[in-house]
Amino acid sequence: MSVFMDLNISYTTDRKRLQAMIETAAHLGYSTVAINYTVEFQQKKQEIPRPKSVTELFEKLPIVQGKSSPIKVVNRLTVVTADAAHFRPTAEYKSFDLVAVYPKTEKLFHTACMTFDVDIICIATTEKQPFHFKRSPVNGAIERGVFFEICYTPAIRDSTMRKYTIANALCLMEICKGKNVILSSAAEKVLELRGPYDIANLGLVFGLSEGDAKAAVSTNCRSVLLHGETRTTAFGIIHTVKKVQPTTKQTDEAEAPASKKTKTENI
Amino acid sequence: MEEPATFERHVYKNASVYHYMKMSLILEDESKRLIAAEFKQLIVSGLRDLYGEIGAAIPFDLLTFDESTKTAILRVYNSGLVKLWSAITLIGSCQNELCAVRVTQVSPFLLALCGNSRETELD
Repeated sequence: MSVFMDLNISYTTDRKRLQAMIETAAHLGYSTVAINYTVEFQQKKQEIPRPKSVTELFEKLPIVQGKSSPIKVVNRLTVVTADAAHFRPTAEYKSFDLVAVYPKTEKLFHTACMTFDVDIICIATTEKQPFHFKRSPVNGAIERGVFFEICYTPAIRDSTMRKYTIANALCLMEICKGKNVILSSAAEKVLELRGPYDIANLGLVFGLSEGDAKAAVSTNCRSVLLHGETRTTAFGIIHTVKKVQPTTKQTDEAEAPASKKTKTENI
Repeated sequence: MEEPATFERHVYKNASVYHYMKMSLILEDESKRLIAAEFKQLIVSGLRDLYGEIGAAIPFDLLTFDESTKTAILRVYNSGLVKLWSAITLIGSCQNELCAVRVTQVSPFLLALCGNSRETELD
């Protein structure tokens, strides 16, 4: 079974609140969370923030519920773009584990899907999507391994935004058929976080199938993280896990003849 | 002589027409008290917000409500589970105050709610 991730927890300068949010996420069963920094170049004097190192935030990371391992925290940058010039992949982007883009126009959505070197494309949830999703850019993004993100916190906050969130999600699902979608919180407060199983169920409301909804909080998020790692390397990455061999019955095998030993191992 | 232990497999198909949900309400102001009727009202209004009058008519029962821990057990027909659960997920305020309903367990068997394997400490 794959682990659950929430790839959007809004960064606040209030350190205590951020700590409380990550602790709650660990308690709810998320194994990985991403702290999200947002830049909007439309407002003047916006600079790309430096990601805070995780060790600065926590001396000892909280333990994930139901697991014995501590939670993993990564950094993520979201660039809100209304103009193609806003997205300039500089060295500053490389200090983040994940890069997301929030396109405001149809043209930008098209270029974001087809050419931008990003991991996540954000779908509007606080306003009505000003354009229709077209099949060709969405398919292009799926082919490139870029994921679409739907945040659920606006749907909790306000009933008008809930309408927009559901409407935009359904529009997207009609085109992408539930593929390459992730669901994340974009929470700013502890009480805006929800458990991973709740979100998998909420995915059904957004028009995902049961399997796709669960993948949207687990396996798809893992793909996003791996895609993020490929950005910083030349070609790609290979993820390997060391398997622990069971060490029992060693004494039995030592006594058995060599030919028999291989036989028992095959069974 | 004792019979050797045999393996038997039971598969329940649609064993229960109900699903049971265990959940706890978390309020910003922790000292605030709530009675069972208010809790049920909160869920019904959540259903009405998301699914309208037809949603508010989904039959479900509040089996227990512990006022000190604000923990409740709900019983709902299988057909209404997804709607009820999603409405509960999207509840964000209770009596003009921020709140969250944490669903701890969902099961077709009431007995399964007596323990939670996720809370057990692993080493």
